[in-house]
Parts: sequence; C-alpha cells; structure tokens
Amino acid sequence: MASADKPINTDVPEKDVFALHFLQSLSNLRRQNAFNSPDDTTNNRVKKIKKAAYVSMARAAGGTNRLWSRALLRRAAKENNKVVIFSRRKKRVTWLRRSNRRDPVDAERLRNLLPGGGAMETSKLMEETAHYIKCLSMQVKVMQCLVDGLSAK
Amino acid sequence: MSGRRSRPRQSSGTTRISEDQINDLVIKLQQLLPELGDSHRSDKVSAARVLQDTCNYIRNLHREVDDISERLSELLANSDTAQAALIRSLLTQ
Repeated sequence: MASADKPINTDVPEKDVFALHFLQSLSNLRRQNAFNSPDDTTNNRVKKIKKAAYVSMARAAGGTNRLWSRALLRRAAKENNKVVIFSRRKKRVTWLRRSNRRDPVDAERLRNLLPGGGAMETSKLMEETAHYIKCLSMQVKVMQCLVDGLSAK
Repeated sequence: MSGRRSRPRQSSGTTRISEDQINDLVIKLQQLLPELGDSHRSDKVSAARVLQDTCNYIRNLHREVDDISERLSELLANSDTAQAALIRSLLTQ
C-alpha cells in the first residue's frame, strides 16, 4: 500500500476564497457585537478572531474533505457546544494510534501540531501536513493584507 | 479470520512502516513543500531534519496567526469606519 504511486493532490483554493470566508466570519463577529462591547476583554476579542481565522480557513480549504479541517471544525463546534454530524467515512480506529508509536520522535511532534494528526496513518499525515501548511500560509497572507489595508490610512 | 480481536501486531503490513517507507514519504513531503528551503535539495538530508523543519514551520505559522490576530483585534476595535476600510482593502487586492 505504501508503494502506491497515486498522485497526491494538495491543491489549495485561490486567495479570494480564503478572504471571502474570513470576511464572513469577521462580519458575523461584528454582528454579535464582539468588537464594541466594553466588557469584553482584549484577550477574548483576540481569541475570537483567531478562532474565526482557523474556522474560516478550514471551511475555505477543506470543508469535510480533509482530515485536518474536519478535526478543526469538530473542535470548534465542541467549544460552542454544538453537535457536529459528518457523513460516515471510514472511521479511523484508535488502535491505529498505538501502532503508530513506531514513528520517529519528529513524526510524533508533527502529529501533535497538526489538527487531527493523532489518528492518521503516517502516509496520510504527510499529505495532510502539506495541505495544511499551504492553507495556513494562504490564510496568513489574507490576514496580513487585511491588516495592511486597515492600517494604511 | 482469527486473531481479529487481539492487537493486530501481525497485520498485512499496512500499519507497520519501515524506515525506508518513512524516508520515501518524507521526501514526498519535501517535494510538496518547496518553501521549506531550497538548501535542503541535497540527497543527504535526513528524514528527521525535514520533519523538524516542517514542525518549526508550522509553529512559526501558528505564531504569525497569533500576532496578526492581535493586531487585527486592535484595528477592528477602534472605530466603525473600520468596516468600510475592511471592504475597501479587500476589494483593492
């Protein structure tokens, strides 16, 4: 199985897809008055923005097609106490985690960094990592453009 | 199939990955992410190094998201004209 030479697709959507999703999240936050309420501490505001960034990135880039985006969305929904229903795919059983202990230490560290990485097979981990990094870079670019646009008066 | 219930140590080989296979995958990762640094093009680069660099790269990106979120929070909290500037800035990209 590991020698299968299937072309791995790590294509990432265009920048405006990310921008659109992020803007939508931000405007939702604004509608909830997250920016103007005086009793909301700065930390809470930053946390909300950060969460909006990750959730919108997951939606823009992977939705339910990527393991890392599913893990991200699931985590965010749990924080909101929502119930998330995903279409049933091949479920990664927990015993997989035990057999993955043969990985070198660095692969373990990578697993900890990647959302949902703990239950992936090593080959899938590499593919998901590449896609995650590309999406994260794109998201950072979008946010940086926003900051530049807002601060340049 | 006997032994299904016990821990599958002797499975068909899909869960046990050898060193070579890990190296292959890491090389594939390196190809997928050219931004990890062209200085690692040499053949001698170890799998551990690539994985380490990848981890550091991800950590840096996370840190960037944190920093940018903080600045965004300051900028967006300031005034309501921020809303117009928001739209404006993204439309002129």
